[in-house]
Amino acid sequence: MKYADFPLLGRRPFTEFSISGVLEPEPAELGEWTAARWVFERTSVPRERVEWWYHGASRLWFLVRRDTGSDTILAIEPARTGSRS
Amino acid sequence: MSLRLLKYAFIEDYAEPCWFNTPATLGESYDVIIIGAGGHGLACAHYLAHDHGINKVAVLDRSYLGGGNTGRNTTIIRSNYLTPEGVAFYDASLALFRDLSDALDTNIFYSERGHYTLAHNESTLRTARWRAEVNKHYGIDSEVVDAEEVARAVPGIDLACGGNHAVEGALYHAPGAVARHDAVAWGYARQASRAGVEIHQHTEVTDILVEGGRVTGVVTPRGTVRAGAVLSAVAGHTPSVLAMVGLNSPIEIFPLQACVTEPVKPWLDTIIVSGSLHLYVSQSARGEMVMGASLDPAELHSRRSSFEFVSGLADGMLDLFPGMAGLKVNRQWAGMADMTPDFAPVMGTTPVAGFYLDAGWGTWGFKATPISGKTMAATIANGRDDPLIRAFNLSRFDDFSLVGEKGAASIGH
Repeated sequence: MKYADFPLLGRRPFTEFSISGVLEPEPAELGEWTAARWVFERTSVPRERVEWWYHGASRLWFLVRRDTGSDTILAIEPARTGSRS
Repeated sequence: MSLRLLKYAFIEDYAEPCWFNTPATLGESYDVIIIGAGGHGLACAHYLAHDHGINKVAVLDRSYLGGGNTGRNTTIIRSNYLTPEGVAFYDASLALFRDLSDALDTNIFYSERGHYTLAHNESTLRTARWRAEVNKHYGIDSEVVDAEEVARAVPGIDLACGGNHAVEGALYHAPGAVARHDAVAWGYARQASRAGVEIHQHTEVTDILVEGGRVTGVVTPRGTVRAGAVLSAVAGHTPSVLAMVGLNSPIEIFPLQACVTEPVKPWLDTIIVSGSLHLYVSQSARGEMVMGASLDPAELHSRRSSFEFVSGLADGMLDLFPGMAGLKVNRQWAGMADMTPDFAPVMGTTPVAGFYLDAGWGTWGFKATPISGKTMAATIANGRDDPLIRAFNLSRFDDFSLVGEKGAASIGH
Protein backbone atom coordinates (compact mmCIF):
# COMPACT_ATOMS: atom_id res chain seq x y z
CA MET A 1 0.00 0.00 0.00
CA LYS A 2 1.22 3.48 -0.84
CA TYR A 3 1.48 6.20 1.82
CA ALA A 4 2.37 9.87 1.79
CA ASP A 5 2.79 12.64 4.38
CA PHE A 6 -0.17 15.00 4.23
CA PRO A 7 -0.23 18.46 5.85
CA LEU A 8 -2.57 18.47 8.92
CA LEU A 9 -3.08 14.66 8.73
CA GLY A 10 0.38 13.10 8.82
CA ARG A 11 1.17 9.80 7.09
CA ARG A 12 -1.95 8.36 5.41
CA PRO A 13 -2.56 5.53 2.88
CA PHE A 14 -3.76 6.61 -0.60
CA THR A 15 -6.80 4.36 -0.28
CA GLU A 16 -8.33 6.85 2.20
CA PHE A 17 -8.60 9.49 -0.53
CA SER A 18 -10.78 9.98 -3.54
CA ILE A 19 -9.29 11.78 -6.50
CA SER A 20 -11.76 14.03 -8.23
CA GLY A 21 -10.11 15.63 -11.17
CA VAL A 22 -7.38 17.98 -12.30
CA LEU A 23 -6.70 21.60 -11.40
CA GLU A 24 -6.97 23.39 -14.71
CA PRO A 25 -7.82 27.02 -15.51
CA GLU A 26 -11.34 27.68 -16.73
CA PRO A 27 -11.48 29.15 -20.27
CA ALA A 28 -12.03 32.92 -20.34
CA GLU A 29 -15.06 32.60 -22.62
CA LEU A 30 -17.47 29.69 -22.65
CA GLY A 31 -19.33 29.54 -25.95
CA GLU A 32 -21.26 26.39 -26.97
CA TRP A 33 -18.27 24.82 -28.71
CA THR A 34 -15.69 25.76 -26.05
CA ALA A 35 -18.08 24.53 -23.35
CA ALA A 36 -18.22 21.08 -24.96
CA ARG A 37 -14.43 21.03 -25.12
CA TRP A 38 -14.15 22.21 -21.51
CA VAL A 39 -16.55 19.53 -20.30
CA PHE A 40 -15.19 16.55 -22.24
CA GLU A 41 -11.62 17.03 -23.43
CA ARG A 42 -8.77 15.50 -21.46
CA THR A 43 -5.00 15.52 -21.77
CA SER A 44 -4.44 11.90 -20.80
CA VAL A 45 -0.76 11.47 -21.58
CA PRO A 46 1.91 10.67 -18.96
CA ARG A 47 2.68 14.02 -17.30
CA GLU A 48 2.89 15.94 -14.06
CA ARG A 49 -0.41 17.47 -13.01
CA VAL A 50 -2.16 18.88 -9.95
CA GLU A 51 -5.17 16.90 -8.73
CA TRP A 52 -7.96 17.44 -6.20
CA TRP A 53 -7.72 14.79 -3.46
CA TYR A 54 -10.52 14.47 -0.89
CA HIS A 55 -10.04 12.83 2.50
CA GLY A 56 -13.50 11.61 3.55
CA ALA A 57 -12.80 11.02 7.26
CA SER A 58 -11.53 14.55 7.91
CA ARG A 59 -13.46 16.27 5.07
CA LEU A 60 -10.24 17.96 3.97
CA TRP A 61 -9.31 18.73 0.37
CA PHE A 62 -5.73 18.71 -0.89
CA LEU A 63 -3.98 19.74 -4.07
CA VAL A 64 -1.57 16.98 -5.01
CA ARG A 65 1.05 17.23 -7.75
CA ARG A 66 1.45 13.72 -9.24
CA ASP A 67 3.33 12.16 -12.14
CA THR A 68 0.76 10.04 -14.02
CA GLY A 69 3.48 8.01 -15.73
CA SER A 70 5.23 6.74 -12.60
CA ASP A 71 2.52 7.36 -9.95
CA THR A 72 4.96 9.50 -7.94
CA ILE A 73 3.69 12.21 -5.58
CA LEU A 74 5.74 15.38 -6.01
CA ALA A 75 3.99 17.89 -3.72
CA ILE A 76 0.97 18.10 -1.43
CA GLU A 77 -0.70 21.24 -0.13
CA PRO A 78 -4.04 21.81 1.56
CA ALA A 79 -6.69 23.35 -0.70
CA ARG A 80 -7.79 26.78 0.53
CA THR A 81 -10.67 29.10 -0.15
CA GLY A 82 -9.85 30.54 -3.52
CA SER A 83 -8.13 27.38 -4.86
CA ARG A 84 -10.31 26.67 -7.83
CA SER A 85 -10.22 25.06 -11.19
CA MET B 1 7.97 -34.88 -24.49
CA SER B 2 6.07 -36.83 -27.11
CA LEU B 3 7.92 -38.52 -29.97
CA ARG B 4 5.84 -36.51 -32.41
CA LEU B 5 7.33 -33.32 -31.05
CA LEU B 6 10.84 -34.75 -30.69
CA LYS B 7 11.10 -35.70 -34.36
CA TYR B 8 10.80 -32.04 -35.38
CA ALA B 9 14.17 -31.43 -33.76
CA PHE B 10 15.73 -33.43 -36.63
CA ILE B 11 13.59 -32.14 -39.50
CA GLU B 12 14.61 -28.95 -41.27
CA ASP B 13 11.17 -28.30 -42.77
CA TYR B 14 9.08 -27.71 -39.70
CA ALA B 15 5.63 -29.17 -40.28
CA GLU B 16 3.71 -26.22 -38.88
CA PRO B 17 4.28 -23.20 -41.13
CA CYS B 18 4.73 -19.76 -39.59
CA TRP B 19 1.44 -18.15 -38.62
CA PHE B 20 2.23 -14.83 -40.23
CA ASN B 21 4.85 -13.17 -42.45
CA THR B 22 7.51 -11.06 -40.91
CA PRO B 23 9.14 -9.35 -43.90
CA ALA B 24 12.72 -8.33 -43.18
CA THR B 25 12.29 -4.83 -44.54
CA LEU B 26 9.61 -2.25 -44.01
CA GLY B 27 8.18 -0.98 -47.32
CA GLU B 28 8.27 2.65 -48.46
CA SER B 29 4.53 2.96 -48.92
CA TYR B 30 1.28 1.13 -48.25
CA ASP B 31 -2.39 1.83 -48.95
CA VAL B 32 -3.23 1.52 -45.26
CA ILE B 33 -1.08 1.56 -42.12
CA ILE B 34 -2.60 0.16 -38.96
CA ILE B 35 -0.96 1.16 -35.68
CA GLY B 36 -1.39 -1.61 -33.12
CA ALA B 37 -1.16 -5.38 -33.76
CA GLY B 38 -3.84 -6.30 -31.27
CA GLY B 39 -7.12 -8.06 -32.03
CA HIS B 40 -8.79 -4.90 -33.36
CA GLY B 41 -5.94 -3.83 -35.65
CA LEU B 42 -5.41 -7.34 -37.02
CA ALA B 43 -9.15 -7.87 -37.52
CA CYS B 44 -9.31 -4.64 -39.51
CA ALA B 45 -6.35 -5.79 -41.64
CA HIS B 46 -8.06 -9.13 -42.27
CA TYR B 47 -11.38 -7.56 -43.32
CA LEU B 48 -9.64 -4.92 -45.48
CA ALA B 49 -8.07 -7.78 -47.47
CA HIS B 50 -10.98 -10.22 -47.26
CA ASP B 51 -14.00 -7.92 -47.76
CA HIS B 52 -12.51 -5.08 -49.79
CA GLY B 53 -9.51 -6.52 -51.65
CA ILE B 54 -7.14 -4.01 -50.01
CA ASN B 55 -4.03 -5.99 -49.07
CA LYS B 56 -1.25 -3.41 -49.39
CA VAL B 57 -1.55 -3.01 -45.64
CA ALA B 58 1.08 -2.87 -42.89
CA VAL B 59 0.24 -3.51 -39.24
CA LEU B 60 2.87 -1.91 -36.98
CA ASP B 61 3.29 -2.54 -33.26
CA ARG B 62 5.76 -1.08 -30.78
CA SER B 63 5.84 -4.43 -28.99
CA TYR B 64 4.68 -7.94 -29.85
CA LEU B 65 1.46 -9.23 -31.43
CA GLY B 66 -1.50 -9.32 -29.04
CA GLY B 67 0.62 -8.17 -26.08
CA GLY B 68 -1.60 -5.26 -25.08
CA ASN B 69 -5.20 -5.40 -23.94
CA THR B 70 -5.95 -8.27 -26.37
CA GLY B 71 -3.87 -10.56 -24.19
CA ARG B 72 -4.89 -8.92 -20.89
CA ASN B 73 -8.70 -8.99 -20.93
CA THR B 74 -10.85 -11.65 -19.28
CA THR B 75 -12.29 -12.85 -22.65
CA ILE B 76 -16.00 -12.36 -21.96
CA ILE B 77 -18.30 -11.96 -24.98
CA ARG B 78 -21.90 -10.71 -24.61
CA SER B 79 -24.36 -8.34 -26.26
CA ASN B 80 -26.77 -7.39 -23.45
CA TYR B 81 -26.11 -3.66 -23.74
CA LEU B 82 -28.37 -0.75 -22.91
CA THR B 83 -28.61 1.55 -25.93
CA PRO B 84 -30.06 0.57 -29.34
CA GLU B 85 -26.73 1.51 -30.98
CA GLY B 86 -24.76 -0.60 -28.51
CA VAL B 87 -27.07 -3.61 -28.73
CA ALA B 88 -27.01 -3.67 -32.55
CA PHE B 89 -23.22 -3.29 -32.62
CA TYR B 90 -22.31 -5.90 -29.99
CA ASP B 91 -24.87 -8.39 -31.29
CA ALA B 92 -23.30 -8.19 -34.75
CA SER B 93 -19.98 -8.92 -33.04
CA LEU B 94 -21.38 -11.94 -31.25
CA ALA B 95 -22.73 -13.30 -34.55
CA LEU B 96 -19.25 -13.01 -36.10
CA PHE B 97 -17.64 -14.60 -33.02
CA ARG B 98 -19.89 -17.67 -33.30
CA ASP B 99 -18.50 -18.51 -36.76
CA LEU B 100 -15.00 -17.18 -36.20
CA SER B 101 -13.25 -20.53 -35.70
CA ASP B 102 -14.41 -21.58 -39.18
CA ALA B 103 -13.83 -18.20 -40.78
CA LEU B 104 -10.26 -17.96 -39.48
CA ASP B 105 -9.47 -21.68 -39.76
CA THR B 106 -8.30 -21.38 -36.15
CA ASN B 107 -9.90 -22.89 -33.08
CA ILE B 108 -10.66 -19.89 -30.85
CA PHE B 109 -12.23 -22.16 -28.18
CA TYR B 110 -15.50 -20.24 -28.33
CA SER B 111 -17.60 -21.52 -25.46
CA GLU B 112 -21.14 -20.33 -24.64
CA ARG B 113 -21.53 -20.30 -20.88
CA GLY B 114 -24.47 -18.06 -20.02
CA HIS B 115 -23.86 -14.76 -18.27
CA TYR B 116 -25.39 -13.71 -14.93
CA THR B 117 -25.28 -10.07 -13.81
CA LEU B 118 -26.26 -10.32 -10.16
CA ALA B 119 -28.49 -7.72 -8.54
CA HIS B 120 -28.05 -7.20 -4.80
CA ASN B 121 -30.66 -4.45 -4.42
CA GLU B 122 -33.81 -3.04 -5.98
CA SER B 123 -32.13 -0.35 -8.07
CA THR B 124 -29.76 -2.83 -9.74
CA LEU B 125 -32.72 -5.11 -10.42
CA ARG B 126 -34.50 -2.16 -12.05
CA THR B 127 -31.54 -1.57 -14.40
CA ALA B 128 -31.53 -5.32 -15.13
CA ARG B 129 -35.23 -5.17 -16.14
CA TRP B 130 -34.54 -2.14 -18.33
CA ARG B 131 -31.64 -3.93 -20.04
CA ALA B 132 -33.72 -7.09 -20.50
CA GLU B 133 -36.54 -5.12 -22.17
CA VAL B 134 -34.17 -3.23 -24.51
CA ASN B 135 -32.44 -6.54 -25.34
CA LYS B 136 -35.69 -8.42 -26.03
CA HIS B 137 -36.94 -5.57 -28.20
CA TYR B 138 -33.88 -6.08 -30.40
CA GLY B 139 -34.25 -9.86 -30.43
CA ILE B 140 -31.49 -10.64 -27.94
CA ASP B 141 -31.83 -13.51 -25.51
CA SER B 142 -31.88 -11.72 -22.15
CA GLU B 143 -34.16 -12.04 -19.13
CA VAL B 144 -34.43 -11.24 -15.44
CA VAL B 145 -34.33 -14.32 -13.18
CA ASP B 146 -34.99 -14.60 -9.45
CA ALA B 147 -32.56 -15.63 -6.72
CA GLU B 148 -33.79 -19.27 -6.69
CA GLU B 149 -32.96 -19.58 -10.38
CA VAL B 150 -29.47 -18.20 -9.69
CA ALA B 151 -29.00 -20.74 -6.88
CA ARG B 152 -30.03 -23.59 -9.21
CA ALA B 153 -27.64 -22.54 -11.97
CA VAL B 154 -24.60 -21.48 -9.95
CA PRO B 155 -23.03 -24.07 -7.67
CA GLY B 156 -21.42 -22.91 -4.45
CA ILE B 157 -22.92 -19.43 -4.46
CA ASP B 158 -23.88 -17.89 -1.11
CA LEU B 159 -27.08 -16.00 -1.94
CA ALA B 160 -26.95 -14.22 1.43
CA CYS B 161 -23.50 -13.03 0.35
CA GLY B 162 -22.01 -13.11 3.83
CA GLY B 163 -25.18 -11.55 5.27
CA ASN B 164 -24.39 -8.08 3.95
CA HIS B 165 -25.86 -7.80 0.47
CA ALA B 166 -28.13 -10.71 -0.44
CA VAL B 167 -28.59 -11.61 -4.13
CA GLU B 168 -32.15 -10.62 -5.13
CA GLY B 169 -32.04 -11.72 -8.76
CA ALA B 170 -30.00 -11.42 -11.92
CA LEU B 171 -30.00 -10.44 -15.55
CA TYR B 172 -29.40 -13.69 -17.45
CA HIS B 173 -27.93 -13.60 -20.96
CA ALA B 174 -27.73 -17.14 -22.37
CA PRO B 175 -25.39 -16.32 -25.31
CA GLY B 176 -22.69 -14.99 -22.94
CA ALA B 177 -19.43 -16.72 -23.90
CA VAL B 178 -15.68 -16.92 -23.43
CA ALA B 179 -12.95 -17.52 -26.04
CA ARG B 180 -9.17 -17.70 -26.18
CA HIS B 181 -8.06 -14.12 -26.75
CA ASP B 182 -4.60 -15.03 -28.09
CA ALA B 183 -6.17 -17.39 -30.63
CA VAL B 184 -8.40 -14.55 -31.90
CA ALA B 185 -5.39 -12.27 -32.48
CA TRP B 186 -3.27 -15.04 -34.03
CA GLY B 187 -6.14 -16.27 -36.20
CA TYR B 188 -6.69 -12.80 -37.64
CA ALA B 189 -2.92 -12.37 -38.09
CA ARG B 190 -2.68 -15.63 -40.00
CA GLN B 191 -5.57 -14.88 -42.34
CA ALA B 192 -4.45 -11.28 -42.95
CA SER B 193 -0.94 -12.49 -43.61
CA ARG B 194 -2.13 -15.16 -46.06
CA ALA B 195 -3.90 -12.38 -47.97
CA GLY B 196 -0.69 -10.34 -48.24
CA VAL B 197 -0.86 -8.05 -45.22
CA GLU B 198 2.52 -7.34 -43.57
CA ILE B 199 2.84 -7.48 -39.78
CA HIS B 200 5.83 -5.63 -38.31
CA GLN B 201 6.33 -6.15 -34.59
CA HIS B 202 8.71 -4.02 -32.53
CA THR B 203 8.14 -1.12 -34.94
CA GLU B 204 6.97 1.90 -32.98
CA VAL B 205 5.22 4.78 -34.70
CA THR B 206 6.89 7.90 -33.31
CA ASP B 207 5.07 10.48 -35.43
CA ILE B 208 2.28 10.75 -38.00
CA LEU B 209 2.78 12.97 -41.05
CA VAL B 210 -0.06 15.35 -41.90
CA GLU B 211 0.10 17.71 -44.90
CA GLY B 212 -2.73 20.15 -45.63
CA GLY B 213 -5.09 18.43 -43.18
CA ARG B 214 -4.47 14.99 -44.75
CA VAL B 215 -2.46 12.04 -43.49
CA THR B 216 0.52 11.14 -45.68
CA GLY B 217 2.45 8.59 -43.63
CA VAL B 218 4.11 7.64 -40.37
CA VAL B 219 7.60 7.89 -38.90
CA THR B 220 9.23 4.86 -37.27
CA PRO B 221 12.80 4.14 -36.09
CA ARG B 222 13.00 1.90 -39.20
CA GLY B 223 12.23 4.79 -41.52
CA THR B 224 9.37 6.90 -42.82
CA VAL B 225 6.51 5.04 -44.47
CA ARG B 226 3.95 6.67 -46.79
CA ALA B 227 0.25 5.85 -46.63
CA GLY B 228 -2.98 7.60 -47.53
CA ALA B 229 -4.86 6.04 -44.64
CA VAL B 230 -3.70 5.45 -41.06
CA LEU B 231 -5.74 3.68 -38.40
CA SER B 232 -4.94 4.04 -34.71
CA ALA B 233 -5.94 0.91 -32.79
CA VAL B 234 -3.74 1.33 -29.73
CA ALA B 235 -6.14 1.30 -26.73
CA GLY B 236 -4.21 2.75 -23.76
CA HIS B 237 -1.83 4.77 -25.94
CA THR B 238 -4.59 6.54 -27.89
CA PRO B 239 -4.09 10.05 -26.40
CA SER B 240 -0.37 9.98 -27.31
CA VAL B 241 -1.16 8.93 -30.90
CA LEU B 242 -3.90 11.58 -31.17
CA ALA B 243 -1.37 14.20 -30.06
CA MET B 244 0.72 13.29 -33.15
CA VAL B 245 -2.08 14.53 -35.42
CA GLY B 246 -3.06 17.45 -33.17
CA LEU B 247 -6.37 16.00 -32.01
CA ASN B 248 -7.83 15.92 -28.51
CA SER B 249 -10.38 13.51 -27.10
CA PRO B 250 -12.26 12.82 -23.87
CA ILE B 251 -10.32 9.56 -23.42
CA GLU B 252 -8.67 9.01 -20.02
CA ILE B 253 -6.33 6.13 -19.23
CA PHE B 254 -6.95 4.04 -16.11
CA PRO B 255 -5.34 0.69 -15.25
CA LEU B 256 -7.67 -2.31 -15.14
CA GLN B 257 -6.38 -5.33 -13.26
CA ALA B 258 -7.21 -9.03 -13.42
CA CYS B 259 -5.89 -12.27 -11.97
CA VAL B 260 -6.18 -16.06 -12.21
CA THR B 261 -6.04 -18.72 -9.54
CA GLU B 262 -4.34 -22.08 -9.71
CA PRO B 263 -6.29 -24.51 -11.93
CA VAL B 264 -8.98 -26.67 -10.31
CA LYS B 265 -11.54 -29.20 -11.56
CA PRO B 266 -14.41 -27.67 -13.59
CA TRP B 267 -17.13 -26.46 -11.21
CA LEU B 268 -18.35 -23.10 -12.55
CA ASP B 269 -19.72 -23.29 -16.10
CA THR B 270 -21.30 -19.82 -16.23
CA ILE B 271 -19.97 -16.28 -16.12
CA ILE B 272 -20.81 -14.34 -12.95
CA VAL B 273 -20.75 -10.55 -12.66
CA SER B 274 -21.66 -8.48 -9.63
CA GLY B 275 -21.66 -4.75 -10.21
CA SER B 276 -22.45 -4.08 -6.56
CA LEU B 277 -19.50 -6.13 -5.25
CA HIS B 278 -17.34 -4.90 -8.16
CA LEU B 279 -16.23 -8.32 -9.33
CA TYR B 280 -16.63 -10.89 -12.07
CA VAL B 281 -15.48 -14.47 -12.42
CA SER B 282 -15.48 -17.34 -14.91
CA GLN B 283 -13.54 -20.59 -15.14
CA SER B 284 -11.14 -21.02 -18.04
CA ALA B 285 -10.82 -24.19 -20.11
CA ARG B 286 -7.63 -24.87 -18.15
CA GLY B 287 -9.52 -24.73 -14.85
CA GLU B 288 -8.20 -21.41 -13.59
CA MET B 289 -10.67 -18.99 -12.02
CA VAL B 290 -10.36 -15.80 -14.09
CA MET B 291 -11.31 -12.79 -11.98
CA GLY B 292 -11.46 -9.03 -12.18
CA ALA B 293 -12.79 -6.10 -10.20
CA SER B 294 -12.88 -2.33 -10.74
CA LEU B 295 -10.79 0.18 -12.57
CA ASP B 296 -7.99 1.69 -10.50
CA PRO B 297 -9.16 4.93 -8.85
CA ALA B 298 -6.83 7.36 -10.64
CA GLU B 299 -5.41 7.99 -14.09
CA LEU B 300 -2.13 6.14 -14.59
CA HIS B 301 -0.06 5.25 -17.64
CA SER B 302 1.42 2.04 -16.32
CA ARG B 303 0.69 -1.68 -16.27
CA ARG B 304 1.68 -2.16 -12.66
CA SER B 305 -0.55 -4.42 -10.59
CA SER B 306 -1.29 -3.93 -6.89
CA PHE B 307 -1.95 -5.85 -3.71
CA GLU B 308 -5.01 -3.66 -2.97
CA PHE B 309 -6.58 -5.12 -6.10
CA VAL B 310 -6.30 -8.80 -5.08
CA SER B 311 -7.17 -8.17 -1.44
CA GLY B 312 -10.23 -6.08 -2.37
CA LEU B 313 -11.32 -8.64 -4.96
CA ALA B 314 -10.90 -11.56 -2.55
CA ASP B 315 -13.01 -9.74 0.03
CA GLY B 316 -16.06 -9.63 -2.26
CA MET B 317 -15.37 -12.96 -3.98
CA LEU B 318 -15.36 -14.91 -0.70
CA ASP B 319 -18.69 -13.31 0.30
CA LEU B 320 -20.14 -14.72 -2.92
CA PHE B 321 -18.21 -18.01 -3.18
CA PRO B 322 -16.97 -19.01 0.31
CA GLY B 323 -15.68 -22.27 -1.19
CA MET B 324 -12.92 -20.42 -3.02
CA ALA B 325 -11.20 -19.56 0.26
CA GLY B 326 -8.44 -22.17 -0.22
CA LEU B 327 -7.52 -21.16 -3.78
CA LYS B 328 -4.17 -19.51 -4.47
CA VAL B 329 -3.78 -16.67 -6.93
CA ASN B 330 -1.27 -17.68 -9.60
CA ARG B 331 -0.87 -14.52 -11.66
CA GLN B 332 -2.11 -10.94 -11.67
CA TRP B 333 -1.60 -8.22 -14.26
CA ALA B 334 -2.97 -4.94 -15.56
CA GLY B 335 -3.89 -3.33 -18.85
CA MET B 336 -4.29 0.35 -19.70
CA ALA B 337 -7.98 1.01 -20.37
CA ASP B 338 -8.93 3.99 -22.57
CA MET B 339 -12.10 5.16 -20.84
CA THR B 340 -14.74 7.42 -22.38
CA PRO B 341 -17.33 9.52 -20.50
CA ASP B 342 -20.29 7.53 -21.88
CA PHE B 343 -18.71 4.03 -21.82
CA ALA B 344 -19.09 3.70 -25.60
CA PRO B 345 -16.16 3.50 -28.04
CA VAL B 346 -14.78 6.27 -30.26
CA MET B 347 -14.66 4.97 -33.82
CA GLY B 348 -14.50 6.05 -37.42
CA THR B 349 -13.43 9.14 -39.33
CA THR B 350 -11.76 12.13 -37.66
CA PRO B 351 -11.27 15.81 -38.60
CA VAL B 352 -7.90 14.76 -40.12
CA ALA B 353 -8.56 13.28 -43.58
CA GLY B 354 -7.25 9.72 -43.88
CA PHE B 355 -6.75 9.35 -40.12
CA TYR B 356 -9.13 6.83 -38.58
CA LEU B 357 -9.71 5.99 -34.96
CA ASP B 358 -10.64 2.72 -33.27
CA ALA B 359 -10.40 3.66 -29.61
CA GLY B 360 -12.25 4.27 -26.38
CA TRP B 361 -12.46 0.55 -25.77
CA GLY B 362 -12.05 0.99 -22.03
CA THR B 363 -13.11 -2.25 -20.39
CA TRP B 364 -15.34 -3.58 -23.20
CA GLY B 365 -13.04 -4.08 -26.20
CA PHE B 366 -12.43 -7.82 -26.60
CA LYS B 367 -16.07 -8.69 -27.29
CA ALA B 368 -16.10 -6.11 -30.10
CA THR B 369 -12.97 -7.40 -31.86
CA PRO B 370 -14.61 -8.92 -34.99
CA ILE B 371 -17.21 -6.22 -35.60
CA SER B 372 -14.84 -3.33 -34.93
CA GLY B 373 -12.42 -4.83 -37.46
CA LYS B 374 -15.19 -5.31 -40.00
CA THR B 375 -16.76 -1.85 -39.61
CA MET B 376 -13.39 -0.04 -39.49
CA ALA B 377 -12.33 -1.87 -42.68
CA ALA B 378 -15.55 -0.73 -44.37
CA THR B 379 -15.03 2.81 -43.05
CA ILE B 380 -11.47 2.97 -44.41
CA ALA B 381 -12.40 1.35 -47.75
CA ASN B 382 -15.31 3.75 -48.33
CA GLY B 383 -13.84 6.84 -46.65
CA ARG B 384 -16.97 7.33 -44.54
CA ASP B 385 -18.35 5.89 -41.30
CA ASP B 386 -20.03 2.50 -41.52
CA PRO B 387 -23.73 2.88 -40.49
CA LEU B 388 -23.23 0.56 -37.52
CA ILE B 389 -20.64 2.86 -35.92
CA ARG B 390 -21.97 6.28 -36.90
CA ALA B 391 -23.13 6.98 -33.34
CA PHE B 392 -19.63 6.34 -32.00
CA ASN B 393 -17.83 9.10 -33.94
CA LEU B 394 -15.52 11.45 -32.04
CA SER B 395 -17.77 14.38 -33.02
CA ARG B 396 -20.49 13.22 -30.60
CA PHE B 397 -18.75 15.08 -27.78
CA ASP B 398 -19.02 18.39 -29.66
CA ASP B 399 -22.72 17.76 -30.28
CA PHE B 400 -23.52 16.49 -26.75
CA SER B 401 -25.00 13.35 -28.37
CA LEU B 402 -23.52 10.72 -26.08
CA VAL B 403 -24.27 6.99 -26.11
CA GLY B 404 -24.81 6.19 -22.41
CA GLU B 405 -23.65 2.62 -21.78
CA LYS B 406 -22.49 2.91 -18.17
CA GLY B 407 -25.50 0.94 -16.91
CA ALA B 408 -24.40 -2.03 -19.03
CA ALA B 409 -20.78 -2.05 -17.87
CA SER B 410 -19.70 -5.14 -15.94
CA ILE B 411 -16.64 -3.62 -14.40
CA GLY B 412 -16.93 -1.28 -11.44
CA HIS B 413 -16.01 2.35 -12.07
